[in-house]
Amino acid sequence: MIKNKAICTLVLSIFTAGAVFAAKPVPAAKKTPPPASVAAISGFTAADMPYDVGGAALLRWPVNPADTPDTVYTVYTSTLASGGWVKADEFAASANIGKDVDMPFWAWDGSAGEHALKVELNSFFGEVPPEASYHFRISSSEKGKLAAESLPVEMTTKGNWFRLDRLNNLVLLVVIIIVFFWAVSHAKRKGLFIRRIAGLDAIEEAIGRATEMGKPIFYLTGTQPMSTISTIASTLILGEVAKKVAQYDSYIKIPHYDPIVMTVCKEVVKQSYMEAGRPDSYREDHNFFVSQDQFSYAASVDGMLEREKPAAVFFMGYFSAEALLLAEVGATNGAIQIAGTDAEGQLPFFFTACDYTLIGEELYAAGAYLSGEPMLKSALKVQDFGKLVVMLSVFFGIIAVAIGAKMHWDSLVHVILNMFKAY
Amino acid sequence: MSETWMIAGAWLSAGLTIAIFSFLYKDNPFFKIAEHLYLGAGMGWLFQVSVFSVWGPKIWTPVSHGDWLVIIPSLMGISLLTQFIPKLSWISRYGFTFIMGYGSGLAIPATLSTDFMSQILGTVQPLSLMASMSPFAIFNALLVAFGVICVLFYFFFSVEHKGHFQKVSNIGIYFLMVYFGAAFGNTVMARFSLLYGRFDSLYASSSARNFYATQIILAGMVIYFVLHSFFGKKGPAEGEAAH
Repeated sequence: MIKNKAICTLVLSIFTAGAVFAAKPVPAAKKTPPPASVAAISGFTAADMPYDVGGAALLRWPVNPADTPDTVYTVYTSTLASGGWVKADEFAASANIGKDVDMPFWAWDGSAGEHALKVELNSFFGEVPPEASYHFRISSSEKGKLAAESLPVEMTTKGNWFRLDRLNNLVLLVVIIIVFFWAVSHAKRKGLFIRRIAGLDAIEEAIGRATEMGKPIFYLTGTQPMSTISTIASTLILGEVAKKVAQYDSYIKIPHYDPIVMTVCKEVVKQSYMEAGRPDSYREDHNFFVSQDQFSYAASVDGMLEREKPAAVFFMGYFSAEALLLAEVGATNGAIQIAGTDAEGQLPFFFTACDYTLIGEELYAAGAYLSGEPMLKSALKVQDFGKLVVMLSVFFGIIAVAIGAKMHWDSLVHVILNMFKAY
Repeated sequence: MSETWMIAGAWLSAGLTIAIFSFLYKDNPFFKIAEHLYLGAGMGWLFQVSVFSVWGPKIWTPVSHGDWLVIIPSLMGISLLTQFIPKLSWISRYGFTFIMGYGSGLAIPATLSTDFMSQILGTVQPLSLMASMSPFAIFNALLVAFGVICVLFYFFFSVEHKGHFQKVSNIGIYFLMVYFGAAFGNTVMARFSLLYGRFDSLYASSSARNFYATQIILAGMVIYFVLHSFFGKKGPAEGEAAH
């Protein structure tokens, strides 16, 4: 019995030692205060990093005027009050000053008279549980020789509900929401102007041609899920296209990549046929699923385009490498092709293979343009408002930043850059 | 893997590659075989990915370990399948509503940050180093800012693009075209890289070790097309074209 206990103790000791060595240990922290020969670093604090999910710690301590360019600070962390220390960071005394913390001025009051360091705990301990305690200590050295050391301090992680550092994003969102409601109200009362979009005028021509030739129309919604903006825009355009197809008594085929998009499109097309007064012409197989594998989808749709030789093909939505594979086959078969995508990398291929191409934002505008719905027009107005904000911000921003930088008005530059801080 | 299987793999790889490439000539039975095989294999692959990477680790394992909360999102996912039962299809709206709400909630803050803030900051920030910038770097930063404003104006739908507005908008199009040209060249280079990969595979399959798979399959297809053009039935489209 005693022998078994001894073996167990030995095995446990080996595992414990292994874990400690695996964590790149440093000499264990002394339980007693630093010896008199080593100066103490006073004012060292560790706290939960504000405005995060609770996975980081914020360490602060005053800048020591006696520090030289050779002074190096080393930060240690551990889950234990003593022992098991892991080196978290090492940096020169001139680095990690309070004002270096990457937070905007309204959320962080960084001083040049203190050091501030953010330590990502999951880098050392894996997933950080809520309200977990961690210990920190720091030491400074000159040319490899220990100069000063702090006492270990403890902090507890805490998840925050509000990201004050993202306040600028929230303010912009609130402004946009207010503008949206104003635009909806204005659109319902007086209507909103939208300039002509060339490619969309060709839709009716393409559908008319398909009707005359007695050939089907293909409509592709792209290869992204329903949550993407381009797919939502595509379904809006599909509604208008399907309405015209129903009015002309032509036939539309919509091969799908995503089953959820297919389900939404089924409802959209059915609604369009009803609005056009042709519910009898609607068929369940207008929309059909092909494949959710990118290139097998492309190969299959290419085969359909080649065999059925449609008179018109619409590519509306987000497309990747399959863009040219699809558009080229349609062009070879002589179809009128109208494309619209916000995939910048694929636009050049649509330019070369399609008759009309809606570039990026024009795709989003198309739904509003075609339907004339006040709600959609209002959304477009809000987008325009956003573009106006960007244009004015860039124009006045570069003037202010350039003057500020030239005149060395660092505070002005700092404030302007913080205002547009993204995440 | 035995030598026989390696040779069989080379024949299959070369055969399917050439069958897909044969579409460049015209639609034909070889392409149809490869197309349907590809479609079936693709869906089969996705099915096993769904089973082993989604259903297994994200539903079955947590539930078998007592994490019953996983059942709630699973039921919402299953609700989408009620679309196939007309009487119950209304249930699917709960799943769809959640997907749309979740998607919007995720996309709107991210879009604000990336499409607004990042764009503005990225354009303005280079000039914060103006004191130490070379004249060319300053010109470059200003050119980018000018381009951003002109391109954005092209996408401005609230005013008619006439007069001076038209000129600004046209400059925006030129900036776009420069970008599209660069993107086109970049993507074409990447596509050529893929093409070389296939050619390399065909070359490997053409060796004596693989019993000249590439040459034999290619020759077989060419013979088929020649014979078909002489003796095959003319389709209605070809017949019309001949008149």
